[in-house]
Amino acid sequence: MISQILTAVGAMIFGVAVCAAYFLFSNKLLEIIFPAKEGGDVHRVAVNLRRRGIIRPWLFLGPAVSLLAIYLMYPVVATLILSFYGPDGNQFVGGANYVWAVNDNEFRRSIFNNILWLAVVPAACTFFGLVIAVMTDRIWWGNIAKAVIFMPMAISFVGASVIWKFIYEYRGGTDAQIGLLNAIVQLFGGTPQVWITIPFWNNFFLMIMLIWIQTGFAMVILSAALRGIPEETIEAAVIDGANGWQIFWKIMVPQVWGTIATVWTTITILVLKVFDIVLTMTNGQWDTMVLANLMFNWAFRGFDSGRSAVIALVIMIAVTPIMIWNIRRANAETKGH
Amino acid sequence: MKKLFLMTVAVAALTAGTALAADLKFQPGQDSKFNWKSFDDFKAAHGDLKGETLTIFGPWRGEDEALFTSVLNYFVEATGVNAKYSSSENYEQQIVIDTQAGSPPNVAILPQPGLLANLASKGYLTPLGDDLANWVKTNYGAGDSWVSYGTYKGKDGKEAFYAFPYKADLKSLVWYVPENFEEAGYKVPTTMEDLIKLSDQIVKDGGTPWCIGLGSGGATGWPATDWVEEMMLLMNSPQDYDHWVDNTLKFNDPKVVAAIEEFGKFAKNPKYVAGGVASVASTDFRDSPKGLFTVPPKCYMHKQASFIPSFFPEGTKLGQDVDFFYFPPFASHPELGKPVEGAGTLATITKDSKAARAFIQFLQTPIAQEIWMAQSGFLTPYKAVNTAAYANDTLRKEGEILTTATTFRFDGSDLMPGKIGAGSFWTGMVDFVGGKSAQDSADEIQKTWDSIK
Repeated sequence: MISQILTAVGAMIFGVAVCAAYFLFSNKLLEIIFPAKEGGDVHRVAVNLRRRGIIRPWLFLGPAVSLLAIYLMYPVVATLILSFYGPDGNQFVGGANYVWAVNDNEFRRSIFNNILWLAVVPAACTFFGLVIAVMTDRIWWGNIAKAVIFMPMAISFVGASVIWKFIYEYRGGTDAQIGLLNAIVQLFGGTPQVWITIPFWNNFFLMIMLIWIQTGFAMVILSAALRGIPEETIEAAVIDGANGWQIFWKIMVPQVWGTIATVWTTITILVLKVFDIVLTMTNGQWDTMVLANLMFNWAFRGFDSGRSAVIALVIMIAVTPIMIWNIRRANAETKGH
Repeated sequence: MKKLFLMTVAVAALTAGTALAADLKFQPGQDSKFNWKSFDDFKAAHGDLKGETLTIFGPWRGEDEALFTSVLNYFVEATGVNAKYSSSENYEQQIVIDTQAGSPPNVAILPQPGLLANLASKGYLTPLGDDLANWVKTNYGAGDSWVSYGTYKGKDGKEAFYAFPYKADLKSLVWYVPENFEEAGYKVPTTMEDLIKLSDQIVKDGGTPWCIGLGSGGATGWPATDWVEEMMLLMNSPQDYDHWVDNTLKFNDPKVVAAIEEFGKFAKNPKYVAGGVASVASTDFRDSPKGLFTVPPKCYMHKQASFIPSFFPEGTKLGQDVDFFYFPPFASHPELGKPVEGAGTLATITKDSKAARAFIQFLQTPIAQEIWMAQSGFLTPYKAVNTAAYANDTLRKEGEILTTATTFRFDGSDLMPGKIGAGSFWTGMVDFVGGKSAQDSADEIQKTWDSIK
C-alpha cells in the first residue's frame, strides 16, 4: 500500500517535472535557433520573433496533439479497417458486416432504442434543469433544493442502478412489495408490475435514471446563465406588464438560448454513449438493447471484432455532427463577442 | 546492530510462517480422511518456488471465494508462492479483455468450454500436454467426456488439451425439503410423468410446486437454458444433444422446439411457479430457492445444480433440512436411460510460468479436492479422492453419481459459441418466458447462429 502511494506520488512529481522541463527546453531551443539579438539587425530580430510566435504553439501543443493522434485517430482508423474484416480481424469480408448490421433485428432494435433515448433524455434534462433553475432562484430554500437535485451527479451510473433496482423491485405472489414504485402503485389500488420487463416502456424506466442523474448538471449550468441576464431587461418587462410566463419564454429563454443548446448537445453525446445503466439493469434484454451494449456483446461475447467495429463506427458517426455543430457554434459565439 | 536486524527479520519470517499455517482449515497430518501424503509429496517436489508470484482469475465470489482461498492456502503453504486470486461479476468478459489487452492472469479458471475454445483459437492458452489428458482420462469418471471438454483447436489449428477440469457441478437435481414432503404425504417421483403428476397434486392441494428464478444480472436467462438442456437430454439421444450443441441439429428443429415447450409447461404455467410467471424472469436465481424454506412453503421443488446450497439460508443442513432427487427421465423414453447433465470449471494457463504449472499439478492432488469437499459445494469426478471427506451424505451421493457416470453431458449453452450460449439463448429464453412462442424464440436464436457461421 505505502509503496503504491509512493510510486504514485513519484510518478506525479516526475510527470510534472518532465512537462516543465519540456516547456523550458523547447522554449530555450527556440531562442537559440531564432535569437532575439542578431548583431543589432532590427529587421532580422523582428522576423525571428514572429517565427517564434508561429512555432511556439506547435511546440507546446505538440505532445497533446501527438497523444491525441495515437489515442484517438489511430483507433478510429483501426476500427474502420477492422469493420471490413471477419470475426478475428484476419479475413477481408468487404461490406458483409455492414450488410449484417442492416439486416439484424437486434441492431435495428438498438438503433430504435437509441433514437428513443435521444429524443427523450436530453430534452427532459434540459427542460427540468431550466424550470428548476428558474424556480430555485426565487425561493429562499432554493439552494438547498439545488444541492439535493445536484447530488445524483456525484453517484456513478452503476451506483445509481443499485438504487433504482430497489425502486423498480418486484416481488412475486403474495409477498410484500419492497419496491418504491410498486408500493405507490398499490397505494392507489393498482397491481404491481415487473417494471423493467415490460417491452418498450422499460426503456423509459431506464431513461428516468439518466434524467435523474443529469438534470442537476443542466440545472447548474442554466442557473449560472440565468444569473447573467441583466436585471434591467426583466425589470423593464415587469414594468411593461409582462406576466411570469411571458418573462420566462420571451425574456429569459432567448437570452440563455446558447447555453440551452450547449447543455442539450452535451447530454445528447452522453446519451449516445449510454452503457452502464443498460448493462446493470437489463443487459439489453426485454428489448432494451442500445448500441453501446450491442457493441460490447459482440466484442466480448461474440468475439467478433468486425461487427463490433461496425457498431462502434455507427455510434461515432452519430456523435460527430453534434460535436461539429457544437464547436462551430462555440466558435461563432467567440467571434461575435 | 546488523545482527539485531537479522534477528528481527528471522522472527518476522517465522511468525509470518506460523500465521500462514494457521490459515489452513485442517492441520496437515491430523485428520486421516485427508490424503496428507499427496500434500507432503507435492510440498517436497515444489519447494523451489518460494517468492514467485501467481495470479489466478476465477468465477468464484463471496462464499465460494473463501472456500477456494482455503484450498489455495495449502498451495501457498507447500510452495511459498505468493498467490493472488481475483474474480469479477462479469468474469466471461473480464477474461477476454485481460487476455486481449495483454495482461492475463497466470491461471484462468472458467466454467465455459466454449469460451475457452475461443481463447485457445486465438492463441491465448498454453497447452497442458498429452500426459495430463491421459491422466484425466484414466482418473476421472466419464474421463473421455472430460478430456474432450478440455481439448480445443489452437491458433495453429491443431487440437491440444488446454483445460484441466477442477470442481464439477451436477445439474440434474431437484431440491426439496423432506419435512414438507412428509407432511403433505408426497413421494419422490422417479419418472417425469410422476413429477408432473406430483406437481398437479400440489396445485390441487392448494400449494405451488416450483420456484424458478432466471435473474442473474448481466447473465439473466441462463437458468432457463439448463432446463432446456435437461429436456433435450431426456427427450433425445446424446448424439442429438451433441449435434444440437454444434448446430448440425438446427436450433429451430422440432426436437429443440419440443424441449423448449416442455420447459414452458413448468415455467409458463401460472399455477406451477411461485409468484406467477411474471416473477420468473425477474427473480434472481440466488433468491428463488428461498421459497422452499418459508412457512408455509412458497414452493415444494426447485431445480438447480449442486452449487445452489451456497445460497440456502444459513445453517441449512444438507440431507436433513433439504435434500435432492434426480431430475427424472420420461417413462415413455426408456431407451435413453438416466442421462446426467453437469458442468464444471476448467483451469487453464493464460500466462505460462513455473508456478502456474505447479498450480495445475497441485489441482491433480487428492488433497486439493478433499479440502473443498470437506466444506461444501464441491464435487469431483476424480476417482482417487476419499469420498469419506465429503462434508455430508448429500454431497457424497452427488459425487458418486459423477464418479460412476457413463453418460455425462456438459451444459450445452457453455459449449455453444459465446454469442449464442451466453447471449441469444439467454435472451431467447427470457423472451419465451415473457410470452413469445417456443418456435419464434428458437427461430430467432437460429438466425443469430446462422449469422455467425
